[in-house]
This record gives sequence, C-alpha cells and structure tokens, in this order.
Amino acid sequence: MEAKKSFLDPRTKLLLVLIEAVLVLATAGGERLWIFRLIFTFLPFLLLITAKRYGVCIIGGGIMAVTIFLDNFVFPYATGIIATTLLITITVITRFLPAYLMGAYVIRTTKVSEFKAAMEKMRIPDELTIPMCVMFRFFPTVREENASIRAAMKMRGIGLGGKKASRMLEYRLVPMISCTAKIGEELSAAALTRGLGKSRKRTNICKIGFGIFDMMIFALTAAMIIYRTVGVFV
Amino acid sequence: MIKFEHVDFTYAAAPEKKSLSDISLDIADGECLLLTGESGCGKSTLLRLLNGLIPEFYDGERKGKIIVSGKEISESKIDDLAGKIGTVFQNPRSQFFNVDTTSELAFGCENLALPEIEIVSRIQKTVSDFHIQNLTNRNIFELSGGEKQKIACASVDVLRPDLILLDEPSANLDHDSTQSLRQMIKCWKAEGRTILIAEHRINYVIDLADRMVILKNGKVANDLGKTEIRSLTDDTCEKYGLRSIKNISPLTLAKEHQENDSKELIRLTDFSYAYRGAKNILSIKEMTVPKNSVTAIVGTNGTGKTTFLECLCGIRKNKGRMISNGKVYKSKARLKEIFMVMQDPNHQLFTESVLDEVMISMPTENEEKAKQILNEVDLSDHADRHPMSLSGGQKQRTALACAIASERSILLLDEPTSGLDLRHMLEVSEILKQLKEQGRTILTVTHDSEFIKNCCDNVIELSEVK
Repeated sequence: MEAKKSFLDPRTKLLLVLIEAVLVLATAGGERLWIFRLIFTFLPFLLLITAKRYGVCIIGGGIMAVTIFLDNFVFPYATGIIATTLLITITVITRFLPAYLMGAYVIRTTKVSEFKAAMEKMRIPDELTIPMCVMFRFFPTVREENASIRAAMKMRGIGLGGKKASRMLEYRLVPMISCTAKIGEELSAAALTRGLGKSRKRTNICKIGFGIFDMMIFALTAAMIIYRTVGVFV
Repeated sequence: MIKFEHVDFTYAAAPEKKSLSDISLDIADGECLLLTGESGCGKSTLLRLLNGLIPEFYDGERKGKIIVSGKEISESKIDDLAGKIGTVFQNPRSQFFNVDTTSELAFGCENLALPEIEIVSRIQKTVSDFHIQNLTNRNIFELSGGEKQKIACASVDVLRPDLILLDEPSANLDHDSTQSLRQMIKCWKAEGRTILIAEHRINYVIDLADRMVILKNGKVANDLGKTEIRSLTDDTCEKYGLRSIKNISPLTLAKEHQENDSKELIRLTDFSYAYRGAKNILSIKEMTVPKNSVTAIVGTNGTGKTTFLECLCGIRKNKGRMISNGKVYKSKARLKEIFMVMQDPNHQLFTESVLDEVMISMPTENEEKAKQILNEVDLSDHADRHPMSLSGGQKQRTALACAIASERSILLLDEPTSGLDLRHMLEVSEILKQLKEQGRTILTVTHDSEFIKNCCDNVIELSEVK
C-alpha cells in the first residue's frame, strides 16, 4: 500500500525551482557564480533522467546542444540583424529552458498529497494551500477539455483559414470556460460531501522527509551562498 | 432510518416550478431503494436534500420534515454528514480531488482527521473487497470512465457510511462497467447499508432493489415492493416511462449486414492507431458499412471505439482510407465529408444561440432552413437560448441539428443515449431514422442495447487488438 517515496522532498523541489529562477533565469550573482549556474543548468536533465522522463530530456538536451553550438561557433562570426536575432534566441533559451525543465520535473513527480504535506510542515495556511492543490488537479483537466474542443472545431471547419477565423478565440474560450466551470462546480460538490472544508485539522497519510539527496542540494545551495557573500569557501 | 414528511422543494434558481411536491417516504435501515422517473422528475433533488448539498450548495425553499436517524436533517451541517452519508455522482471526470488514486481513497478519511493507521487499514480492506489492487497508485487521468467510477465508489466506501446515495452512477459507463458497479452495490447491500440509487438505466440493479419509487413531476407516482418489482415486464415499464429492465450485453446483438443486401457499401481499410508510447489500440484491416443505414459499433472497454470514430472523422490523423462511390478519402478529405457528435456535446457548442450554432454549420448560411431543422429536432422554442443554458438532452439535439445542417453525408455519434431516459432515447432514435430516410449514413458507438434494437440496422463488434 505504501506509495513509493519520491527521490527528493517536495520542499527541496520548491527550493530548486526558486534557485533556477533566481540564478539561471534572472542571473543573480553575476559572473562570479558561473560554475553554480552551469551546475544548475544541467541539474534538471539529471533529475528528469531519475524520473524516467527520457523524451523531454532528449528534446531539451538537443535544443541546449544546438544553442551551445550556435553560441560558440556561429555567433562570433555573425553580424547585423542575424547577430541580434541569435543573441536574443541564445539568451532566452539558455535562461528559460533549465527553469522550464525544472518546473516540468517538479510537476511530473510531485503528488498533490505530498505537496500538501510539505506545505503543512512549512506551516503555510490551508487557505493558500488548498487552492494551489486544486490547480494541480485542474491543469490536466484544462488540457483534456482543450484537446476535445480543438478536435470539435477542426471537425466543424472552424479555425485558421476556415470559416469564422476572426471569431475563433471566442469559439474556443466559450466552451472552455463553461466546461471547466461545470467540472469545477461538480468537483466542489463532490469534495463537500466528503468532508472537505471541515474546520478540524486534516490528517495526511503521505510521508515526506529529507534524505541524502536533499542534503546534497542543501549543501550545494549553502556553498553557493557562502561563496557569493564571503568570496571563498572558509 | 429516513423519513420524508410532506416535503416540498423549489430551487431558488427556478422559482416557477416545484422540484418536489408533497413527498412522503419511509425508508427502512438496510433497504435498497431504486429511485427512477423521467429526466427532471426530482430524483437528484431528493438525494441532494439528504447529502446536504441542499442547502449548502444549491439554494431553495423547503417545506416539510426530513428525519435521518431520528434527527431533522437541517440540524446537521454538511461537514457532520460526511462520514455518515456517502454519495457517488454521475460524472466520473469530476468527482475526484487528487491526481493519484491512493490519495483519492484516503481523501475523505483525511478530511475527517482519522488516525493514519486507521485510514491505511480501511483502504486495504476496501481495495480487497472491491478487487481494485490494479488501480492503486495510478494517475487518475489515465483511467477509463469505468475505472474512475470504481475509484469513486471505493472512496465512498472507505468512509464506511451507513447511507449510500448514487446519482445516476451508470450514465457514462459501458455494459461491463455497469456490471462491476453492480458488484459493488451488492457488496454494500450484503453489509447491510441503506442504499438509494437514482437511475434511468435500471436493468443492472433492478434485481438488487427491495423497493422502487417512480417519481413524476416531483411527486411519488408509484411505490413498488419487492414482489411487484419481480413481476415487472418491459411493457409495464414503458407505461411508466422507464427504460427496459432486460440486462442485455450489446455484444450479443452483433449482426453484420446481409451479403445480398442491395445497399451500396462504404469500405474502410487499414484503420489503426496507437497513442504515444502505447500499443496499437485500434487495428482494422477492413470494414464495410452499408450506406443509408444506421450501424452500431459495440465493443468492451479499451477496444478503441471512440478512437475509431475520431480516426474515421479525420480529427485524429491516421493512414486509414475510406472508399465510397469509387473515390478514396484520406484523413484530411474525410474532415469535410463526415460530421461527428461527441459524447459530451459541451465540447462542440461554440456560439451564443442555438440558431447561430446551426447556421455556422451550414455550407451557406440560410436562416429559413436552419429554423426548419430546429423544428425537426423539436428545438424551435429554444432557437434564441444560449446553448450552454440547455439541458443535456437539448444540447445533444442541438449538436444533431448541426450535423443535419452540415449536409455531410456521413454522421458519427459517440454514445448518443448515455444518461437519457426512455422518452429522450426514443427521440434520438426517431431523428436517426429520419436521417436515414434522407439518405445519410450513420455510425454510432453505443452500449445501449435498447437503443440498438430501436433504430440500428447493423451491429459491428470491435474486438481488442491482440
């Protein structure tokens, strides 16, 4: 019955997302932290392999490889508009891709109940946590509804190049909103009959806790902060 | 255990019509009561009064008394009812709160703050009672409708409620899944729980019922005991406006069209499909469908019936070919020749009025003709309504009207009668028969044996890919 515990604690995953955003995406810390930036650029790939998400990993790796190639062997020789375009593309990809992949890893490997348990341990109030849990549940729903609506539009010949192209957005959004709202309503009704919203504290059968890999991530983060503030490893 | 005394109820959202009027019922402990009647007769309202969704979720005015376990129900809040009354709803897609199954089973107990060991042991018992070991620790989004409904029943079971309410639980299920649902209800009955089932499709549970209450316009029209239920026939059911009581698997109805039939044929070749990273779900070397007829496609879960329709229609790209009148149609060309009515009509209604919806389906817009089509499907009175404000049956007829308006010669339907009562099912049958007369070819995926008997000329069975 005991579900397999995930490789990293959800709290560590949240930390990782934060570091990706600050260090790689916003390039805080400047040139000095380049070695850490390099580590955190490739960490998402490693994690995706541990989660057996090889497809995303290969595609992401391919894009990254092409970008690095462009950066080192094409960009130095480019001039004018081509140079500008290349620069923008390279910057966007090297900054956004690792953060995106880390996000994909976290969403793929975190169960809602694990996330909830982590938030409870960090003493974040339920008023904040429950809406976030519902979002986890809702993304796949929105994706499913969206796919069905797209198929229906294709079949009825409404779309780019088809009939009524100008009103396509409206035709897409109206059923989308009414379908998700309906599901949301039925979902709340079902949750109410099963005691959600009861004022007493919930239990959670999900086990979370820090392991050796979490410690390694913390050590790395600590090292980075020390290096940034002191300049050397004492 | 439950006592209704002269209960009236009117929804705040529809103040002009009483949803229930003067209901008096005594339901004994351990009784299995089947609640039936046409759409809109008040079945669901009655269940909502018991599980606390009225007044917590749906506003309205109630008169009369409802006593559950010696206590007036309005004195208990919905929170307190959670461990005592469990509800299984109609739509398997919208009644789970988690993404993985095991968390979902624990969800109710966690809300009641039961100790962890207790929750784990309850889950273990439920899983073994319901034989759903294969469904633990799975992503709910990867389960079929029938499997989702099993999880819904199981997550009610772990709460061990004395009273279990089921609100059209079989509406979206195929024949095999209703059989497993039946097993779970049987399990509850054996444990002595009180069960209320609101259903149109009564055939799979009718022999478990101790009592059957038929509602009509919010009133109790008939209250049948065990012996009366046993002596019911399809003819008496029809008089009451009920669906057939014969539990027939649609697979047994399979009949290919006659070779000497003079009708022209449409040939379908090489239809196969595999979802990303999975085995072939569909593999059809060759299939022939007679023109100007209604053909039912039947098959158990996982035989790719819906996928087949999507491939045939062209919304799922594939290599299959359709040969009609000596012309070969590939995926893209078929998109313009075939119209598909999806199982959930909400996905294919886009505009602001029913009339607009029909108009945009036409090759060239023609209001006169659109109105005439709406008349054919009995929707003239609703031409100006927003499609999303219609009832389920009306939405489906709107989608059918669009299909007619499209003037495409081939029409596909995916489970057009799921959740429909007798009257609405017969309406759909009539429309299909008319369309056939007008020279259209209709293919419908269905699990509804009664519907097949009413209007389908041929029945083709899809079997699992080996």
